[in-house]
Amino acid sequence: MTADQLTIVGKPVRKVDGVELVTGKAKFAGDLQFPGLLHGYARRAGIPAGYIKSVDVALALKVPGVVDILRGEDIPGPNIMGILPPYDQPLLATEDIRYEGESICLVVAESRDAARAGARAIKIDLEEIEPILDIDEAMAEGSRKIHPGGNIVVSKNLIKGDIDKGFREADVIVENTYRTSHQEHAYMEPESVCAVPESNGRVTVYASCQSPYHLRGHIAANLNLPASRVKVVQAFTGGSFGGKDDVASEIGALAAVAALRTGRPVRIAHDREESIIGSNLRHPSRIYYRTGAKKDGTITAREFKIILDGGAYASESPFVVMKALIHATGPYSVPNVRGSSTAVYTNKTYSGAFRGFGVPQGIYGSECQIEELALALNMDPLELRRKNGLKPGDSTGTGQIFEESVGMQACIDRVDDCRKEMADAPEPDPDRWLYGTGYSGVIQGISNGAEGIDVVGGSVQAMQDGSILVGVGLTELGQGSRTVFAQIAAEVMGVTIDQVTVRPVDTDSVHDSGPTVASRSTTVGGMAVWKAAQNVKKSLVSMAALMFKAEEEMVILKENFAILAVDDSARIPLASVATAAYWTGFPLMDLVFSKAPVADYDEETTQGNIYIAYNYGCHLMKIRIDRYTGRVEVLRHVAAHDLGKVVNPLGVEGQVMGASLTGFGLAHLEKIQMKDGHIQNANFADYAVPTIKDRIPTETISVEDYNPTGPYGVKGIGEPPVAGAAAAFANAVADATGIRFTRLPITRQDIVKALQKQQEDSHGSFSKDWRR
Amino acid sequence: METIELTFTLNQREVTVSVAPNRRLLDILREELHLTGTKEGCGIGECGACTVLLNGRTVNSCLILAGQAQGSEIITIEGVEKAGGKLHPLQESFLEKGAVQCGFCTPGMVLSALALLRKNSTPNVDEIREAISGNLCRCTGYKQIVEAIQAAAGKLQRK
Repeated sequence: MTADQLTIVGKPVRKVDGVELVTGKAKFAGDLQFPGLLHGYARRAGIPAGYIKSVDVALALKVPGVVDILRGEDIPGPNIMGILPPYDQPLLATEDIRYEGESICLVVAESRDAARAGARAIKIDLEEIEPILDIDEAMAEGSRKIHPGGNIVVSKNLIKGDIDKGFREADVIVENTYRTSHQEHAYMEPESVCAVPESNGRVTVYASCQSPYHLRGHIAANLNLPASRVKVVQAFTGGSFGGKDDVASEIGALAAVAALRTGRPVRIAHDREESIIGSNLRHPSRIYYRTGAKKDGTITAREFKIILDGGAYASESPFVVMKALIHATGPYSVPNVRGSSTAVYTNKTYSGAFRGFGVPQGIYGSECQIEELALALNMDPLELRRKNGLKPGDSTGTGQIFEESVGMQACIDRVDDCRKEMADAPEPDPDRWLYGTGYSGVIQGISNGAEGIDVVGGSVQAMQDGSILVGVGLTELGQGSRTVFAQIAAEVMGVTIDQVTVRPVDTDSVHDSGPTVASRSTTVGGMAVWKAAQNVKKSLVSMAALMFKAEEEMVILKENFAILAVDDSARIPLASVATAAYWTGFPLMDLVFSKAPVADYDEETTQGNIYIAYNYGCHLMKIRIDRYTGRVEVLRHVAAHDLGKVVNPLGVEGQVMGASLTGFGLAHLEKIQMKDGHIQNANFADYAVPTIKDRIPTETISVEDYNPTGPYGVKGIGEPPVAGAAAAFANAVADATGIRFTRLPITRQDIVKALQKQQEDSHGSFSKDWRR
Repeated sequence: METIELTFTLNQREVTVSVAPNRRLLDILREELHLTGTKEGCGIGECGACTVLLNGRTVNSCLILAGQAQGSEIITIEGVEKAGGKLHPLQESFLEKGAVQCGFCTPGMVLSALALLRKNSTPNVDEIREAISGNLCRCTGYKQIVEAIQAAAGKLQRK
């Protein structure tokens, strides 16, 4: 179907679950009420490393309102969580303390205050040991092992072509080491769950979560119950960005254990401090890159070494390592590559999934390299990107070749157009302001790819009144997936969008759909809805054909009618068709299992087919820096992305702007302050979540290069702009100041200090000229 | 703990509650009166998710102690919707412009915007920025929120 025939896909559509949200009626997990509800609160270690010598809960149990106190031994199952092997994290620590947020006991009480009072009354004797806080110390020979298997979580290699030959062919080689810091998800809703024991021997857990099937598995295992006894219902979820996976499993399992022990519903709701200290952060990184190119700009080789600080537990480090590795060559054709990606344990809050998933860290370094290469070659930075940017038929860093939907060159062209418009713009007050423009290429794999099987369950049901009920196993986290699923169902079924309801995810309803990650919802989840809708449509078309006494090919479903193709006035309301189909005995519901092509690659070299598609992008950021105060103003930010096909322009713009601001936060504003293994700024007063005053003027440009693996040609857009905005900012600062900063965030203070040093270096001493 | 009896006007109806004096207005709204549209995001007055109107001014209800509510007039998100379930123009605009993603900040945002439009029916972008500078949003990047408030101001003007 061509774009001009589409009626709903591609049109701006209001969020289908928006009315509940703007009126405050939407029930988040913390809003749910159940009779006899108890409250759980964890007593945490408060030290980054050590051993538990003794725990005494006798006094705490006497605190008024305290009903029960759980310790690790009280967990019926293995007391283990973790998204991936090695499943190395306890729900409640029993021996080792590996980070300050480690939970030791869960106090269950009649009120939140009583639970806190109970937690304070527990006597815990800990033996504190020297924490390992530095990645080099963790990797050093003879270093204390944080986990029995040592301090390397996982390490992977990528080998393509002949690296030595590649560097021999190079006329210019640049190399540098780049660092990034922890970043907190800072979703507005802290984590929350509510576990309710059911009378039929099951337990239902209502959760603010990203991956309800992960929860189901962890809860059942830790209850030592069959997974079929556990039902997880996703409540309205106030943002996730990768963050509500491990921690949701942790508190979901704890609440479920407490609920079955007490026979009463139990809520665990984190406060902001717990949310920052006790759930995963974005991996800090140290990334070495070396890149070689010929005089004409053709990149011949890239060598790299990525080290990610995984913190206390594996969480999703094994996959983040892979993703950083796979994207290490950026959106460019590089024939000879050799590099490694490694995650390391330290005694800090564990690192895990966060929007971009290792790609923003790598792209930041990679794009700094491109800009440094352009300087060394005396070549225009966009031209250098154009010269090497992937085209259809080119080989990615893993040797995967896409013949279609490689819109990288178009993204560069669109950014170049913007640059040309800007060329003559005056730059006022140059004595005060330093002006600079930075660019970034972006690439982000869509689908689980190398991270495992990619399957989604979807269901579509036509009611007798012609309305449509859709179920999908992927979660709405604010990104608007429920709305795009409704659009796709409406498009296929020929109904208006108000006729479609997309129900919340509950794990009973459709096939295990894995996690809602990897910018995969619209592409892979959308495909499940599309397929299920096609099957239900068949019944309605068959029925309508009988009613028209016409061939099925002559029936069109649109505008809530079945219409005869040759006569637009020959219409039967879809409600009549659906009712007739029901009474004729045609199936009006379909449950599909949709599977993306499986990744196929060599484990030793990471060469092969990884993702079903890539999102490509090119960003431009023009800034000015107050040379006296370091204050940065973003004057223009252009984010061009090839996302295959726009389903909901409102949603796409929201994703691009939101992700861009998160990238800008990573690059300029946000930093977890860590001292001796303790987070110093676990609150929103001291951790700088971008406010409206930090807003950047992002312009969204959508390049639509049809992707054959997504419904209507779509590819995801949720994550890619994070990397683009972060890297373009870093390059803009370098352009404005002439100083290459090699660590994110590049804060205002960093800029002022560096400018001061620059001034001192050029004048021999601190110049009063600097203060003018 | 002893309780105190409070009477105040909530969404144009008088209510009386008996609560411990150390309860926050946020707790009273959510737990005593079951109005869960007001959200807790940080508990220290930094995120604005718990914003309500107290005597016409925006406050973080996590920073207001029970006694401060006595005799006051309070508007929460539940009081913004018009009678008969008709959305307020601000709520309409938030939907129309894509200003809602996860929606957790939305009630507080809407109330901050409402307070602004009540005293300034034609705010410029800087005034909008100032008005919602105490409301954090991690999802949207803020642009669509500003557009929504501008659009709502326009709609209210035309009325």
